Amino acid sequence: MAGKGGKQSRSSSGLSGRKGAGDQEEEEQPLQAVLVADSFNRRFFPVTKDQPRALLPLGNVAMIDYTLEFLTSTGVQETFVFCCWMASKIKEHLLKSKWCRPTSPNTVHIITSEMYRSLGDVLRDVDAKSLVRSDFVLVYGDVVSNVDISQALQEHRHRRKMDKNISVMTMICKESSPGHKSRCEEDDVIVAMDSRSQRILHYHKTQGLKRLQFPVNIFHSGSNEFEIRHDLLDCHISICSPQVAELFTDNFDYQTRNDFVRGILVNEEILGNQIHMHVTKDGYGVRVSNLLMYDSVSSDLVRRWVYPLTPEANFVDQKGRSCTYSRHNVYRGSGVSLGHGSQMEENVLIGCDTSIGANCYISNSVIGNNCTIGDNVNLDHAYIWNNVHIASNVVISQSVVCDKVEVKTGVTLNKQCVLAYNVVIGPDISLPEGTVVSMHHPDEEEDEDDDEFLSDDAEVGHSKDKTKLKAFNPAEVGAEGKGYIWKASSLDDTEDEELVRKNCESEDSEPDDPDDPVIPSPETDDVKVFQMEVLGTLQRGLEENIGFDNLVLEINSLKYAYNITMKEVIQILTSVVLEYPFQQQGPQLTPAQYVALLLPLLKKWAPVFKNYVKRVQDHLDCLSAFEEHFLEQDSHWPAMVKVLMNMYQLEILEEETILRWFSQGATTDKSRQLRKNQGVRTGHTAL
Amino acid sequence: MPGPDKETDLTERIEAFLFDLNRGGSGAGPLRGSAETARETTALLRRITAQARWSSAGDLMEIIRNEGRRMTAAQPSETTVGNMIRRVLKIIREEYARSRGSSEEADQQESLHKLLTSGGVSDENFRQPFAALKPNVIEAINELLTELEGTTDNIAMQALEHIHSNEVIMTIGRSRTVEAFLKDAARKRKFHVIVAECAPFCQGHEMATSLSKAGIETTVITDAAIFAVMSRVNKVIIGTQTVLANGGLRAVNGTHTLALAAKHHSTPLIVCAPMFKLSPQFPNEEDTFHKFVSPHEVLPFTEGEILSKVNVHCPVFDYVPPELITLFISNIGGHAPSYIYRLMSELYHPEDHEL
Repeated sequence: MAGKGGKQSRSSSGLSGRKGAGDQEEEEQPLQAVLVADSFNRRFFPVTKDQPRALLPLGNVAMIDYTLEFLTSTGVQETFVFCCWMASKIKEHLLKSKWCRPTSPNTVHIITSEMYRSLGDVLRDVDAKSLVRSDFVLVYGDVVSNVDISQALQEHRHRRKMDKNISVMTMICKESSPGHKSRCEEDDVIVAMDSRSQRILHYHKTQGLKRLQFPVNIFHSGSNEFEIRHDLLDCHISICSPQVAELFTDNFDYQTRNDFVRGILVNEEILGNQIHMHVTKDGYGVRVSNLLMYDSVSSDLVRRWVYPLTPEANFVDQKGRSCTYSRHNVYRGSGVSLGHGSQMEENVLIGCDTSIGANCYISNSVIGNNCTIGDNVNLDHAYIWNNVHIASNVVISQSVVCDKVEVKTGVTLNKQCVLAYNVVIGPDISLPEGTVVSMHHPDEEEDEDDDEFLSDDAEVGHSKDKTKLKAFNPAEVGAEGKGYIWKASSLDDTEDEELVRKNCESEDSEPDDPDDPVIPSPETDDVKVFQMEVLGTLQRGLEENIGFDNLVLEINSLKYAYNITMKEVIQILTSVVLEYPFQQQGPQLTPAQYVALLLPLLKKWAPVFKNYVKRVQDHLDCLSAFEEHFLEQDSHWPAMVKVLMNMYQLEILEEETILRWFSQGATTDKSRQLRKNQGVRTGHTAL
Repeated sequence: MPGPDKETDLTERIEAFLFDLNRGGSGAGPLRGSAETARETTALLRRITAQARWSSAGDLMEIIRNEGRRMTAAQPSETTVGNMIRRVLKIIREEYARSRGSSEEADQQESLHKLLTSGGVSDENFRQPFAALKPNVIEAINELLTELEGTTDNIAMQALEHIHSNEVIMTIGRSRTVEAFLKDAARKRKFHVIVAECAPFCQGHEMATSLSKAGIETTVITDAAIFAVMSRVNKVIIGTQTVLANGGLRAVNGTHTLALAAKHHSTPLIVCAPMFKLSPQFPNEEDTFHKFVSPHEVLPFTEGEILSKVNVHCPVFDYVPPELITLFISNIGGHAPSYIYRLMSELYHPEDHEL
């Protein structure tokens, strides 16, 4: 903690020191980045029980190093790394790395807290500590990228200069057609955007959806060129304005970036914030969000798609970790020994001081440092981390083998197996497809489901006790094996999804947003309560003679409190006003009395209406609420035309929309009858 | 304390340079001329000489060797950096020898007699301190910088001797040296240039635009058409990335095809290469010889499903063996490929070949 305090004081002194200069020239401010070194989900479980995801090796380099290298190369000069799960390990790693050397062009501040449970918490903390001074780059600690974001950054700054702070975020997306191996299905989005201004109009995740719906109003705003795109790969790199952190503080229910984007888009007309998108064709930018993606990103890395971040570049600048590159994408570290008759077919990366026995066949694999591999071993799409011992006659295909695992002779790992840290398997056993073996017992996991954010030491001590209690099952892991079988999860899509559903409550178990504009929401409790509150507000406004500004303010705040859409606000407001006389005087009012009571009220509240009812759609919403009200009160149809006329005269409603409503709106018999009503027709002709 | 300040400033500069080298290596990125890299390296070495703490020539050489190793490791394909470091090391050796009063010639000439009589590889320890060494070395490095400034002009000046009126010249990709060479000739002569586009980066397009702006009649062809067009060509003039110790080339991808086609048609192949591209490297040291960049240019990443089913490679360099080359034109004149070894021994000290 002492180190943390030191870091913070350093950052704050830097802040005050640079602020003076920054005020004069905004352009001169160093670019900052917020790196979230925690995924807040458990897709890599149980591997991440021993090592945080940001430190898992990808091509023998920790993932966070790729992210930091990306940030540094884009010109970021100050990075805040937020750690939560196993923060001490990340901190230790970073302090040893080249990023914390005094000569590093990118100053890295490490901020740890066990309180972070989501991206939202991190950004709220950014706001609370006021760490960012200008636009910043927001990334996760598992993003591998070489995208050049300078153009996007320029566009973002230009937009913010042009119309004062309206654009709050620019998301970087990469063009890649559906079916691309590096597209994560969980992240598949469909985006509607304005092609001229690149403004996002609609943003929707498509996973598991068979039908997509777009609200029509998105096509009424802005210019008349639109794009609806599904060929985008979300790089999970966003350029944010400092307002983003503030918005997260204001909306304490935002957990993920997805929440944020949806929230901004839904409230666009009220808050006036916009989100833009930068689509790039060049470069590479993918987030390693699950084991499938781990597989595809690793193979892309070995196939040099992320150039210049290639394995032989040794960009982390570690001593003695260099490797050489030869044809067919074969990389060999120093001190690699290869037995007689062994073949490295293609796309193979072998770490330093690894020895491989005779007659092995290796293809499309990554092998870490200090591994020993016996004779007649067949590796295909295998990801073998450091200090692994593999005996002779082993076959491994498309599996992950973590640090210090021992695989004894004659073992076969079928596709999509995961052997977590320190596991021993074998001899002579074949693990079925999708087996996960860990030294942690799955039950223990359930016990601790809630307190996964325990500190490391407690965790380790805890698990050791448990390990002693339960015996390993030799039928599952072999006669000399050590480890417990976990629920058969896999890299496979469908099962992975299940795993996701089950394990990562934080991200996926949010209820569908009630304010989803696509689904007209049923009368939820919130809506009813909101209606009551609006009624109360209006009543109080009348009694205490409160100005309409304050009424609007109050209704707005209610709207946020109950998460109500604009459409609903208009409809509820209309029905509340129309029902007001009944509320006060009882339902036995005659039409004449009703009109007499309502008209002064309408006059009084006309400014409130005008504040909300602006666009054509709003008018129609208002009218539909109007219609609904009078459908229920059929005895008052004579009053209707007078009310309508009055609303027209008060300029709440426009002639055009009334006519449109009259000619189009009828869908049921009763509403048709309503329109046939003598009064309305005369009113119609009068207009 | 100005001392530590100076030193941190120096290390910062070195780090920034390393970073640039690391970044600048991507083939698709902004192409940085090797002349620029050579100048920057030399300027940085001059700064190290001026600002680092050293008391004798031996110390200085050790410092430069250490930094040099890091610089070459940062971008192994950029041989110019290593070459400039060797040149500076040689300068230090010469200045030291001069300060000691021994003749330069005796020191650098390798002879059979000397090999037989001398005990070790080097009996020199460079430990003797001389006050005048520092200004002398800096002076010599300044001369080297002046030489570097003028290389392209020196090569371009020789253009009229090689290009005659109404000739058809073929070149490939974009080389600043060749560009200057052709433009210089175009001031007096009229000739036709055919540029092979050099896919997938297609720097040939830029070259053609630049040449046609200078009023030269220019045609762009695909790389596949090189052989077909060769029969009409009078001379092939190309640039290179590196001249290797055996007189071969490490040049942009496609040059080998061009050289073979030229050989088949007995068309002379002229290589414009400044002296700083001469590297004591041999083509068999394959670790750093090849450079493969992101396959994006060959098959775009946007392609989708096909990418997981194919292997795509995008190499940047070709090796051209010396027997395909007719003439080198450097800033000090024309040389045959077989003469390269001699130039090499004049430029670099044999002990510096390995940094």
